[in-house]
Amino acid sequence: MEPAVLQATDWGFILANWDTLALGGVVTVLLTATSLTLGFALGFPSGAIEVYGEGWLADIVSTAGVLLRGTPIVVLIVLFFFALPIPRLGTVPVVDMKLNAFVTATLALGLRSAAYQSQVFRGSIQSIGEGQLEAARSVGMTKLQAIQHVVFPQAVRRSLPGFQNEFTIVLKDTSVAFAIGLAELLTRAERLYLQPGRDTVVIEVIITISAIYFVLTFTTNRALDYVHSQYAIPGGNQ
Amino acid sequence: MIANILRVETLNTDSYEYRNMTPDATIDRRSYLKAVSAVGATGGLAGCTGGGNGESGGDDESGGGDGKSGGNEVINPGTAPGFPPFEYTENGELVGFDVDLAEAAIERAGYEVGEWTEIEFESLIPALTQGNLDLIAAAMTISEDRQETIAFTNPYYESDQAVLVAEDSELSPESADGLADQRVGAQSGTTGQDEVDALVEDGTVAADDRRQYDNYTLGVQDLENGNVDALIIDIPVARNFADGRAVTIAFTIETGEVYGMGMRQDDDRLADINDALAEIQEDGTYEELVTEWFE
Repeated sequence: MEPAVLQATDWGFILANWDTLALGGVVTVLLTATSLTLGFALGFPSGAIEVYGEGWLADIVSTAGVLLRGTPIVVLIVLFFFALPIPRLGTVPVVDMKLNAFVTATLALGLRSAAYQSQVFRGSIQSIGEGQLEAARSVGMTKLQAIQHVVFPQAVRRSLPGFQNEFTIVLKDTSVAFAIGLAELLTRAERLYLQPGRDTVVIEVIITISAIYFVLTFTTNRALDYVHSQYAIPGGNQ
Repeated sequence: MIANILRVETLNTDSYEYRNMTPDATIDRRSYLKAVSAVGATGGLAGCTGGGNGESGGDDESGGGDGKSGGNEVINPGTAPGFPPFEYTENGELVGFDVDLAEAAIERAGYEVGEWTEIEFESLIPALTQGNLDLIAAAMTISEDRQETIAFTNPYYESDQAVLVAEDSELSPESADGLADQRVGAQSGTTGQDEVDALVEDGTVAADDRRQYDNYTLGVQDLENGNVDALIIDIPVARNFADGRAVTIAFTIETGEVYGMGMRQDDDRLADINDALAEIQEDGTYEELVTEWFE
């Protein structure tokens, strides 16, 4: 056997299959977007409820959060896939992805992300000094108005670094959808080297998708940095 | 290939009819096919009285089958690609012997081929029992363990296990004894892994030296890299790797195992699929598929 670790032909094969990887990248980005949206839609109110809420609602939110944060994401996604009665919803053309697997993955990643995001928002809300709320009340605002107009605008800005972190985590964790056969980047990449005669490209394929994941996280992080600098509280503590 | 046949006791296969017909490991494919066809034909005759003449016979049967299964006319097959030539992806398309055979059987039985589900091999049975798919076509060996949870069609392919070693390896075992104190691996959830487990149990291989892979491609890579000394793998797939990679078949283990397609135990459509498989073997379609994918 010749010591051929990285052969030019193997890289050529990856180049020839760039469309497969690009489509996988599209599914990965879509899944990140839907999961983060679901996570934000549930996580932001949950964070507020954890700070201001009381009674059964607060109990439900904090219990759900503990359960979701305490379960490994692969376990969660496999559990949802096999346990939830999600109907067969057909295949999305072009990207060739099963809709029911996509919904399952969005639910698992989205709910888990909601549990993490709620903590990000809880932290940022609690970082706004109590005095501000009291000052707002003393100028005649109701508690709700004070939260809405004084606390939240600052809290959302302060949550950006934590959210940025969460964004990166969700993007990379979309690769666990591999476990349920969703045709995202990792699944498609693996199918490339599972073809007969192409089984020598394992290392090249893995290096390539690592690079793709890196480019995706790097660019979105830079974009969020920019957003952060644009919306920072002028003269404030970020 | 020097086939120094090793006799290994297996759990399951003695009860199969074909086994009595083909007691010897050195059977060639043609005679095996004849044997399987004979089994299939018996099943076919039991299923349809006087029919069995080409496609019209198949359609008639499916009429009856639809009634039984509550009008569910779509069968969604599932497989685990990465097992050439049985199932793998090529240019993004799922292809392979199992894929063609399953589609032919489903159509012949009068059902519609639904969506293929591609998932890890180990997840196939849970996915079937939970209804994510209706039929497993994944070179799955019929075993008693698996039969506790799912039902199988009649056997459609026979495969023993092969032991792969690296071409430049100093190790050239001729039987299981040659694997003593070596690192031996297989794809998890396969009957190859059962063989590895058996070697560990009888003390030939140390428990620490057992290796498991998500798919055989990664196993072969590890074999070439020298991280494992031998892989136990189904013969047809072993031949495929031996052709393309720096690995070679050291010897074979006669397990007499056969592949069947898996379906849920309460799925009435199983009988129709069995009839269709029998018909496919009878009318030469099976031979054509074998020629296409194995020669």
